[in-house]
Amino acid sequence: MNKRFLLPMLLCMFSSFAVANEAELDHTPIPTDKASVLRGAEQVITVCGACHGMKYIQYRNLVELGVPKETVDTWRGDKHLNSAVQPGMDAASAQAAYGVVPPDLSLMALAREGGVHYLYSYLMGYKNENGEVKNTVFTVTKMPDILGSATDDPKAREEAAAKAKDVAAFLNWAADPHGEDRKSLGMYVLIYLAIMTVLFYLWKKQIWRKVDAMGKV
Amino acid sequence: MFKRALAWVDERFPLSHFVKDTAEYGTPRNLNYWWNFGSLAGLVLVIQLVTGIFLAMHYKADINTAFDSIQHIMRDVNYGWLLRYMHSTGASAFFAVVFIHMARTLFYGSYRAPRELLWWTGQGLLLLLMATAFMGYLLPWGQMSYWGAAVITNLFRATPFFGEHVVIWLRGDFQVGDATLTRFYALHYLMPFVIVGAVMIHLIALHTVKSSNPTGVELKEKDIIPFHPYYTIKDMFGVGAFLIVYFGVVFFAPNMFIEAANNIPANPMQTPAHIVPEWYFLPFYAILRSVPDLAGGVVAMGLSVLIFAAMPYLDRSRIPGGAVYRPFYRILFFIFIANMLVLGYVGAVPPTDKTIVIGQIATLVYFGTFLLLPFISKKEESYLIKRGGLPAAVNELLGKKN
Repeated sequence: MNKRFLLPMLLCMFSSFAVANEAELDHTPIPTDKASVLRGAEQVITVCGACHGMKYIQYRNLVELGVPKETVDTWRGDKHLNSAVQPGMDAASAQAAYGVVPPDLSLMALAREGGVHYLYSYLMGYKNENGEVKNTVFTVTKMPDILGSATDDPKAREEAAAKAKDVAAFLNWAADPHGEDRKSLGMYVLIYLAIMTVLFYLWKKQIWRKVDAMGKV
Repeated sequence: MFKRALAWVDERFPLSHFVKDTAEYGTPRNLNYWWNFGSLAGLVLVIQLVTGIFLAMHYKADINTAFDSIQHIMRDVNYGWLLRYMHSTGASAFFAVVFIHMARTLFYGSYRAPRELLWWTGQGLLLLLMATAFMGYLLPWGQMSYWGAAVITNLFRATPFFGEHVVIWLRGDFQVGDATLTRFYALHYLMPFVIVGAVMIHLIALHTVKSSNPTGVELKEKDIIPFHPYYTIKDMFGVGAFLIVYFGVVFFAPNMFIEAANNIPANPMQTPAHIVPEWYFLPFYAILRSVPDLAGGVVAMGLSVLIFAAMPYLDRSRIPGGAVYRPFYRILFFIFIANMLVLGYVGAVPPTDKTIVIGQIATLVYFGTFLLLPFISKKEESYLIKRGGLPAAVNELLGKKN
């Protein structure tokens, strides 16, 4: 019976993820290269930053990421390098203008089912329906179509898509800034464990050889 | 020098005796790899304790800072992300390993006499583990933490006469709040040490009755081998294989077991669209939801976990062991496992008319497999004896008892 109940066990573990998303998401690959992340940083800080803050990202983190110090200086104005990235608009005026306080973006790439694909689909999800622009992914959103994804012009839509990918790439970094370190360390750990496990297996065979020779009980 | 020091200790404390007993502990030589999961559960317990203690050095149990302190651990503490992902993945690994350990016990009939106390102490460990995991899940103070704790503590409203009071007493407040968080934190730190103690009892019971084996028949002396080096090295190999899977998740898919909604700080004013417990509670949660009445649901859910304890009495066959010689028992086992998956699925999806019916049928099947076991095992016994062809060791055992 040995291997027979491993699969059901694994399926049981994954059953909680089998829940379907309500809106179909666009699973266009989101880049992870440095250039995209840096372009995304500029988008998020200078455009999204008008309304959204990032309480877990400090300006110095952006310098560490690779944004030139002078650029960060212009972004932060008189705020300290150790200050969290603040929204350009305070919560009260945002509430007055949009009827909702724009959510913090630090963890946005992890805080929605679908992760970066949700973010991309959402940013690209605006549709022009009889002169009224609506989002098809998050229908009750108060956020206007910042990237202009509701356009009919294929070229403009492509530009919006490129920006949306960059934004998703940066937010992915922001939600999980040690992600790259984690994966590279993980490779070494798994290689080490694989070698160790093979050695243990051979050692086990060696120790058990006499018992194995006795045959079945 | 060392010998003299050891002799000095041994006169006052049974150190050599203990080491010798543990190393020479007699173990059947035919245990397969399903028997590795007990030691793996011990390993995960150690991982959880060590990472947990280090996390506690940086975590803050206060509703205003708890969520932030997790992000502080994830971003600023050196290798804090590793500690946290090891701990969050470790919780799932713990249940996965324990469920497989239990499934092995059920499949091979290891719960049967004389191992009832071993099985029951294991049952106690499962309850402690569930309580610990449930309280730990509140600590990140995300949306799912908050609402999960709110829903589950609310179940105690079903207590006769004192329902309202019990809920307030558990939460320390009229709703899940700071008082709840601090007490869950205190207990989440305490419980693992209670678990360590319970594991000791589980191991003492094990060393008294010794390991069962796939045949279900006690082996002859020549087939018993010392635990060390045979099972120490076999367990080491198992540990290696387990760690590859475990660290594979920790390093490459650590958010697989963290609900997206739990990356949003707890907000008592806003209920998430769909409250789901962690995967390891889903089948029991499905049973809870399948009973239309709250009190009935709570009783059914409690029974669904506790009913395992009755297994030694429900299984009335005189054919030794579990599924190896017993085809009907084997079918029942696989029905049970498949049904568990159905319940898990039902627990995970938002309730619709269809899933409610499926859940109710699966709940009936769940309890049905337990309650039909006395009849099925008896019928199976007479069928097998009449059919013949049982191994000599089994016939010998039956002959003795006849």
